[in-house]
Amino acid sequence: MTAGDAEFVEFARAASARLVHAAFLMTGDHHRAEDAAQTALVRTYASWSRIREGDAYGYARSVLVNHLVDGWRRPIREYPTEDLPEQHRGDVADEVTTRRWLVAVLGALSPRERAIVVLRYYFDLAEAKVAEELGVSLGTVKSTSSRALEKLRAAGIRARETQETRP
Amino acid sequence: MSELQRLRDAMRVTEQPSTLDLAAIMRDGRRLRQRRRIGRTGGATLAASLVAAVAVVAVGRDGPPVVEHHPRPAAVAPTPTATSESRKPVGAVVDTGIHYGAEQRVYYFVAVDVPGLPKVTIGLAGGRRLPSGALTTDYLVNDVEGTDRSAGFHEIGRDESGATPAVPTFGYFVGPAQRIVGTVDGRNVKAQLARWSEDPQVVIFWFDPAELAPGVPLDGIVARDKLDRRL
Repeated sequence: MTAGDAEFVEFARAASARLVHAAFLMTGDHHRAEDAAQTALVRTYASWSRIREGDAYGYARSVLVNHLVDGWRRPIREYPTEDLPEQHRGDVADEVTTRRWLVAVLGALSPRERAIVVLRYYFDLAEAKVAEELGVSLGTVKSTSSRALEKLRAAGIRARETQETRP
Repeated sequence: MSELQRLRDAMRVTEQPSTLDLAAIMRDGRRLRQRRRIGRTGGATLAASLVAAVAVVAVGRDGPPVVEHHPRPAAVAPTPTATSESRKPVGAVVDTGIHYGAEQRVYYFVAVDVPGLPKVTIGLAGGRRLPSGALTTDYLVNDVEGTDRSAGFHEIGRDESGATPAVPTFGYFVGPAQRIVGTVDGRNVKAQLARWSEDPQVVIFWFDPAELAPGVPLDGIVARDKLDRRL
């Protein structure tokens, strides 16, 4: 294995969980998320010699987002609330509850809103960077983000009420 | 705790360990790198190198059809056809100006019938106009869910069959697109456009094989309207 390959392996091990999770947050589909992250890493590795000295993570994230954005106008599946992945860490009940809440609130958003929320609040990108990444104007990011947060608040309250009334 | 803070926390604590296959990623990445190198040096015939792709069926060629899995809705030819069969065009045939000797690359819609998908009635074929004027269908791609007229991009045909001549990457977009640009390896590649005679909202596009080698996957693709707004 070359030094470049070893670097990529280290990079991929560090980045893959986050890329898969981001794709899941954007799509609500575990299989699609894994495939999207895999595609992003394949393309990152293919360009590794060119990007390894720069922002490799940013490159992988951009490829992932572009790949998913390509499917925005397709029918989006609902979040699979009953298909919870096996939990391995922490308090299982808490994680299941948190995941249910997350699934409920993100499920209330459009694909574009979800992408903006994930880039802004999961990747912690500035609004201008989100606009650049999605190829939209800063105003679109601001207005979509604001609309998404309103929906999140409403969905969060509904989700909490549902959880509280669940036996 | 505010809803936003709760959202941030929830997005982080629900992260799972990754189970991606790094060996497969590196193998596919090497192949993709090789394909790009071939594409840049002008090689038009790309043999069996591949990465996860839209599922397609090459028709009218020697050899078995290529069918692969992809996370996105796969496109398949509903009825793979025998060698040298052509399908009857629906609407006008689009001439691309790409020639292979006396033959010319063309694209045209054909009628398809996909079980369980009543709203998918057309597929886009990449074919050739032969010196006799007859058409031969090389590659057919169609939606396998939803409706074939929904706004936005539909399935993209990427010929990985290794056949010669390979079909330049193509597809269609529904909406007022005036410009379609793909990106690959950080490079922008402009698509050629033609409106479908039967529905002006349907924009057929293809990439010049000299600029995007057939089979090379795009990293992204965007459509823009006459005011250069992203659609």
